[in-house]
Amino acid sequence: MEGPILELRDVGKRFGPLTAVRDVSFSVEKGEIIALLGPSGCGKTTTLRMIAGFLQPDEGRIRIAGCDMARVPPYERNIGLVFQDYALFPHLSVEQNIAYGLRQRGVEQNKVSVRVREMIDLVRLRGYEAQRPTLLSGGQQQRVALARAIAIAPELMLLDEPLSALDAKLRQELRFELKRILLTARCTAIVVTHDQEEAMSLADRVIVMDGGRILQEGAPTAVYSRPASREVAELIGRANWFEGEVGNLVDGYREFLSPDGPLLISDRPDLAGHSCRLCVRPERLMILGETSANDRLNIIKGTVTTVAHLGSAIHYEIQLPSGRVVLVFEQNRDQPLPGVGTPVRLSFRPGDGVLIPEDAPVVR
Amino acid sequence: MTATIVAIIALLVVPLAITVAMSFDAREYLGPFPPARLSVGWYQRFFSDDYLMHGLRTSLLLAVISATSATTLGIAAALAIKRLPKGARDAVTALFLAPLIVPGVVVGFALLLFYARAGIDNGFLRLLGGHVVITFPYAIRTILAALNGVPPSLIDAALSLGANHRRAVWTVTLPLIRTGIVAGAIFAFAFSLDDVAASLFLSDPHNYTLPVALVSMMHANFDLTIAAVAVLLMGVTAVLMLALDRLAGLDRIVGASVYRA
Repeated sequence: MEGPILELRDVGKRFGPLTAVRDVSFSVEKGEIIALLGPSGCGKTTTLRMIAGFLQPDEGRIRIAGCDMARVPPYERNIGLVFQDYALFPHLSVEQNIAYGLRQRGVEQNKVSVRVREMIDLVRLRGYEAQRPTLLSGGQQQRVALARAIAIAPELMLLDEPLSALDAKLRQELRFELKRILLTARCTAIVVTHDQEEAMSLADRVIVMDGGRILQEGAPTAVYSRPASREVAELIGRANWFEGEVGNLVDGYREFLSPDGPLLISDRPDLAGHSCRLCVRPERLMILGETSANDRLNIIKGTVTTVAHLGSAIHYEIQLPSGRVVLVFEQNRDQPLPGVGTPVRLSFRPGDGVLIPEDAPVVR
Repeated sequence: MTATIVAIIALLVVPLAITVAMSFDAREYLGPFPPARLSVGWYQRFFSDDYLMHGLRTSLLLAVISATSATTLGIAAALAIKRLPKGARDAVTALFLAPLIVPGVVVGFALLLFYARAGIDNGFLRLLGGHVVITFPYAIRTILAALNGVPPSLIDAALSLGANHRRAVWTVTLPLIRTGIVAGAIFAFAFSLDDVAASLFLSDPHNYTLPVALVSMMHANFDLTIAAVAVLLMGVTAVLMLALDRLAGLDRIVGASVYRA
């Protein structure tokens, strides 16, 4: 197995007094799809632009396929870029857009035609070859942008918020399409996004960034269910928080003393006696039926204050005795809906609580 | 409101209408308005007047060369300006647009001093220099406006696809701003053709523009040939404006951006 396709080591970038990116290190193996996830201004776009060669890092090294990229201009890096606004050339047809990179590389005409046809088939745009991109829908433009980038057979694809310009429904459809295309073309790709669903559904590995640093990195499910810090938990998914202190061991579980009563969670001996926050994802909180047994752990009483029926799911806001309002997501299974003002009992499994120390260090 | 508009239209249109009517006056002398009979005599006189025709030739040649040069320089300068850092960009843009607010008289006089110092005594070159200075701001203004309409991500896309900066300019930037370039050239042509103030300073007995010839004619022997020439110049300008409107939409040229896909 050869080395990583992309390697960033201690990369930093400043804009005047502002540090946009600092100490960013990660690598991407061949065939991997990575998501750089973070809020706007977190440094993810700056990182992307440094990898693409539009910006020079002030510190650190960027290597592509083992070669240092310090003096290599964007047009000599073999990187396929998909821009947030697609950046299709409005004066060229779909076909000419896709052929652009090949033409710049001096590929001979009949090979260009073959490759363009291949790309058209890959992104399923037969019949649109002669169209101007401005006449296409957002989803079609997106696919042209993908085809244009993949056509040059880049070592690495960089996708900047690839789905953010589309409306919600199209976004969901295209997420699968995008994944299919990236997998079919065997792309190594970095997807920059602020949308955790996009990150989780597309990527094999998620790198969560904020304030120019990497907060956490790992498989999407791991980052989601085991966030290392409050920031990460908030950036990827929604979270309910309980403040309190980690107590004794009870029946093999660790006791967490919250204002809403003692809660039992999977053991973390290292945190015994610490002030912590306990994170419980909204979908891991269950509303117990009236008849359900009382032998459950972690029963919390509360009152429903808001019910939002979203069709496939139901979102509740439930006020706890401490005054804290928690969010609960339930799938719509045609269950009876507790109305506003109804007293309910909530529960969660000990394994679903994630402890985060108050002074959580930045995890890299 | 309505009265204001009527007054403005009257002020703009009535003198022009009178000029047009008088240019077709069949009388041999400058008689009172309106002309009793019409003829194209003044136009014939213009086309057979060597002095004026020489001016016309110089004017057209100047307009073509200065519009071409101003546009070429404008493209180069606009592309360079776009690559400057923000602060410098505004300063240089302001500098390049400065001739717009400097009176033509000043431009002409300053250039005259400069030519004398630099030893440039070719009359046509003197005029050409002045016309390039006068028309350059018009060219660069429309080209910059067009350039500002080109999303930077398009250039980044071209670079990422393997085009170097020069190739990106040729294959993406220039095709996208071609409307702005043509508009800039038309503007430059029109303003070169119309200029009197600077040309007055830079003309000599052998190299003079049509407007300069008209001015000296007004001093020497005032007749309606001037009206005929004025009408012809109006015609040319009207055609240019129409072309500009067809090409890009006048509102967009006068407004912010001339970017068109």
